[in-house]
Amino acid sequence: MAETASQKQEKTRQKKPKATGRGRRLKTPRPRIGVFVCQCGGQIASVVDVNELTNYVKTLPNVVYAEQMNFPCSRQGQEEIVTAIKKNRLERVVVAGCSPRLYEPTFQRCVSQAELNPWLFEMANIREFASYCHQANPKQATEKAKDTVRMAVAKAKLLEPLAPIELPMTKKVMVIGGGIAGINAALDLADMGFKVYVVEKTESIGGYMALLDKTFPTLDCSICIEGPKMVDVGRHPNIEIISYADVLKAEGHVGSFKMKVRKNPRYVIAANCTGCGECKDACPIEYPNYADMYLGVRKAISPPFGQAVPLTHTINRDYCIECFKCIDACGAREAINFDQKPEEVDLEVGAIIVAIGYSMYNPSDLEWTGYGKYDNVFTALEFERLILAAGPTGGKVVRASDGQKPHSVAFIQCVGSRDINRYEHCSSFCCMYTLKHAVMLKEKYRDDIEVYVFYNDMRSNFKGYEEFYNRAQKSGVKFLRVKLENRKILENPQTKSLTVSGETEDGKPVTAHSDMVVLANAAVPQQTAAELAKILKIPTAPEGFFMECQPKIRPTDTDVPGIFLAGACQGLKDIPYSVAQGSAAAAQAAAVLSKDVWTVEPLVAQVNEDMCSGCRVCESVCGYNAIAVENLGDKALARVKEGLCRGCGICGSACPMDAISMPNYSDRHIIAQVKAVMERGDKT
Amino acid sequence: MPLKTVKKDTAEKLTLEWVLHVKNYRLSLDRNRCVGCQICSLACPKEAIKVEKQPKSKGEKTRRPKVDVDLAKCNFCGICDILCPYGAVKVTLDNEHSLPVIEKECFPKPIREIQVNPAKFPASREEIEDACPLHLIKVSAPMSEKAESTATVEVEKEYCPCCRVCEVKLPSGAMQVRKFIYGKIAVHQEKCPDGCTDCLDVCPIAGALFLQDKKVAVNDTFCVYCGACKLVCPVEGALELERTRIIHEPIRSGAWNKTLERLTSPVGIAKELKNKGSLKARESVKKRVGLKED
Ligand SMILES: Cc1cc2nc3c(=O)[nH]c(=O)nc-3n(C[C@H](O)[C@H](O)[C@H](O)COP(=O)(O)OP(=O)(O)OC[C@H]3O[C@@H](n4cnc5c(N)ncnc54)[C@H](O)[C@@H]3O)c2cc1C
Ligand code: SF4
Ligand code: SF4
Repeated sequence: MAETASQKQEKTRQKKPKATGRGRRLKTPRPRIGVFVCQCGGQIASVVDVNELTNYVKTLPNVVYAEQMNFPCSRQGQEEIVTAIKKNRLERVVVAGCSPRLYEPTFQRCVSQAELNPWLFEMANIREFASYCHQANPKQATEKAKDTVRMAVAKAKLLEPLAPIELPMTKKVMVIGGGIAGINAALDLADMGFKVYVVEKTESIGGYMALLDKTFPTLDCSICIEGPKMVDVGRHPNIEIISYADVLKAEGHVGSFKMKVRKNPRYVIAANCTGCGECKDACPIEYPNYADMYLGVRKAISPPFGQAVPLTHTINRDYCIECFKCIDACGAREAINFDQKPEEVDLEVGAIIVAIGYSMYNPSDLEWTGYGKYDNVFTALEFERLILAAGPTGGKVVRASDGQKPHSVAFIQCVGSRDINRYEHCSSFCCMYTLKHAVMLKEKYRDDIEVYVFYNDMRSNFKGYEEFYNRAQKSGVKFLRVKLENRKILENPQTKSLTVSGETEDGKPVTAHSDMVVLANAAVPQQTAAELAKILKIPTAPEGFFMECQPKIRPTDTDVPGIFLAGACQGLKDIPYSVAQGSAAAAQAAAVLSKDVWTVEPLVAQVNEDMCSGCRVCESVCGYNAIAVENLGDKALARVKEGLCRGCGICGSACPMDAISMPNYSDRHIIAQVKAVMERGDKT
Repeated sequence: MPLKTVKKDTAEKLTLEWVLHVKNYRLSLDRNRCVGCQICSLACPKEAIKVEKQPKSKGEKTRRPKVDVDLAKCNFCGICDILCPYGAVKVTLDNEHSLPVIEKECFPKPIREIQVNPAKFPASREEIEDACPLHLIKVSAPMSEKAESTATVEVEKEYCPCCRVCEVKLPSGAMQVRKFIYGKIAVHQEKCPDGCTDCLDVCPIAGALFLQDKKVAVNDTFCVYCGACKLVCPVEGALELERTRIIHEPIRSGAWNKTLERLTSPVGIAKELKNKGSLKARESVKKRVGLKED
């Protein structure tokens, strides 16, 4: 049997990590320190007097070498540092430059090339702390830069060589959310040979794309392109779909996340159900179908739509009358089990991809729209189901009030979006899907239909999109530009037709009469996002989408190593972009999963077992569940879970016994820096 | 987006609706026909129906209990429609009174067996029409002294609870009615408060309950066991009512078994299941209601 990651972890823990590199042998109480001062192409040098700083640094105790460089982070710069380390037999290295968040890993790699232990490196941030924030006072900025470097040197003197911590890797991954983003991530990873669990909340994977008629800008049939991918997911030997399920709990860390998932009862045994639908035909009960946006119905036992994956039927007990006709119809297959209970499963995975998509805003609280009050006002998604050939009306666009085909349709953009009182964000794909709807109507009904689009800005800014906008204009769609304020929709109570009005930027009224209105209502964060964020301990942005680690260069990472984002849950995006992000997240996850061990920085809390009294104070203050008191025979001792510890140090400061310290961030190191900063008067 | 629903409640009518784009489901309860009995609330598989006793003001007759249907729970299956003895509920799909639970043989229709024999009718139209306490017998005009046999007599069957009052009131053989709900009813007069006629006030079948020495008494022949009386009776145990059998078309349905369980006494179900030889269903009922083998 394969070892689980936690068993492996136990083993690796027993192996005491060994520090490597020259630093290990280093006993000198007066280490040879080298300082490299960065000019940062003028970003530092234009404010801080780098000459003066470098000369000053040379006077500091233990500094045996100092030079100024233009870009130490460049390849050439790094080579120069390596040479300088070797030539001057440097034992500690300080780079005075930008933020360690950006470049510390680069310089750590650089010093290890010179066979120096990477934790014998220290960074002094004189760009953000001096040149950027004191541009108006170059003199003082220079003084502050000196202070900063002096502190770094004082700390560098005390740095100790450390060894990275290695955690075992479970080569499995969980994709949460089976929309088009999750589907792509899952297929990519499964093709690379990793075991993938796709956890989907609803009965079927597919997400919104499975509900759409056609897709812009090519107008190909949405389910025809997504369906085969859904089937591939269902059939892939490396993928297990866990649908109609909720993630309840997530513990552990990259390499070994321990997940608890609840499979909700369908009252149909998935293994026995062939999806034949005979039960569905026998069932007497229908209920409004969410997948049809409640324009149509489904049976109490049914799949949500014909192409559902898995096709396992589900009984909705809220509507079922328990006539048991389905049991008779199912017969020898015996797939129906009214006693099914929710089932909880525990799964261990090395990485997680979150792809839970978005939700749609219900515009009935925007009174001017008349949504929910006027029969012939629809949302865009309802319109998708109306025009879809396999939809409840068989693709006939008809009014709700009289079942007649409209002779004019008005589309209203930005309903709830770009509205500081509702959702400030732009929903990003509404302009394009409205163009799609408008073109489809024009091409379907030609001169028999007038199409109006009330818009404020038309956003068609990706490949082929502007061209599609032109196609819409050529097809005769009337575009009416109005302000977002003072728009109004009024119903004629007799004809149930509508009058849409707005104002141009210069206050001129614009009106159109139409038989039907379609609202581009805001797409908003997934309703389950906040809860999942809590479970996974990943941050969300104020408006509710998941927060990426860095918006420009790390758009698919979260703050938590091993958890990645894909698709609209990170920020609204259309299908091509969601697909690309799905694959990007898969590549990120693969980079993690393909390692045999996951190395983490050794900057995690260390417990001095002789001093620990087992009082549990540390346990109560740790925000990451990374430290816990364990009973070890006769003694209770705090133990650190290295994969979870973020090295924040809060346990160390809370410990009444002073039993916890952070390597290279101990009291000694901090006090040395504090002393150094107080020295200013003596030296300058 | 949210489902469009409608609920309208007036003194005449209660209407619930699911307004889907392609389908319209409607339940309407005719408050003039509804007597506020026990049947629909017990029959509803979703427990969507509540029947509430109405406050009584001094000196007035007791009012019939009021039926309310919860829109959030109702699934428009039409079981209340099928079983209402008075035909007060109608469930329609796109205005058509066709119920899938019947069509797909998931629920039985009660059998209203009413035979009309015009040859035996008396001459007077009033006499015929007045024979029905619910005024469901309609005689087509004109009706002359001599030619009574050419006149047609029609019973509005869908509203008929089969109380058999007409059968007894009219000359023998003119009407033959078989009850579709069987049961037992008894009033324990010793427990009745003096002067109380609450049950009598609400009973829709004139003659099923009557006054005897200022106390209410029962005529079992006419009672349809709908239980309206039971709901208003103020004293625990004064009025005993039990349904034992419902005459219906043959069926095999879990929903029917459960409805039966709620509507009739355990003995009643045991009998039906025994007749059907449905051992499995019998076992499960035994477990649920703690049925004793007899
Ligand atoms: C009316 C309309 C028309 C559109 N037309 C187009 C178009 O023509 N072309 C185009 O490119 N884009 C179009 N879009 C946009 C498109 O829908 C999105 O780009 C796409 O659906 C994003 O995919 P996703 O996988 O990120 O999210 P989703 O499609 O939302 O999928 C997310 C999945 O995660 C599941 N989930 C949610 N919460 C959880 C949870 N807690 N646990 C587990 N699973 C969960 C959901 O059930 C769902 O299956 C349109 C959108 C709308 C509203
Ligand atoms: S038992 Fe429920 S799901 Fe099955 S056929 Fe009857 S109503 Fe439909
Ligand atoms: S079953 Fe009883 S309560 Fe329900 S509608 Fe019929 S008469 Fe009224």
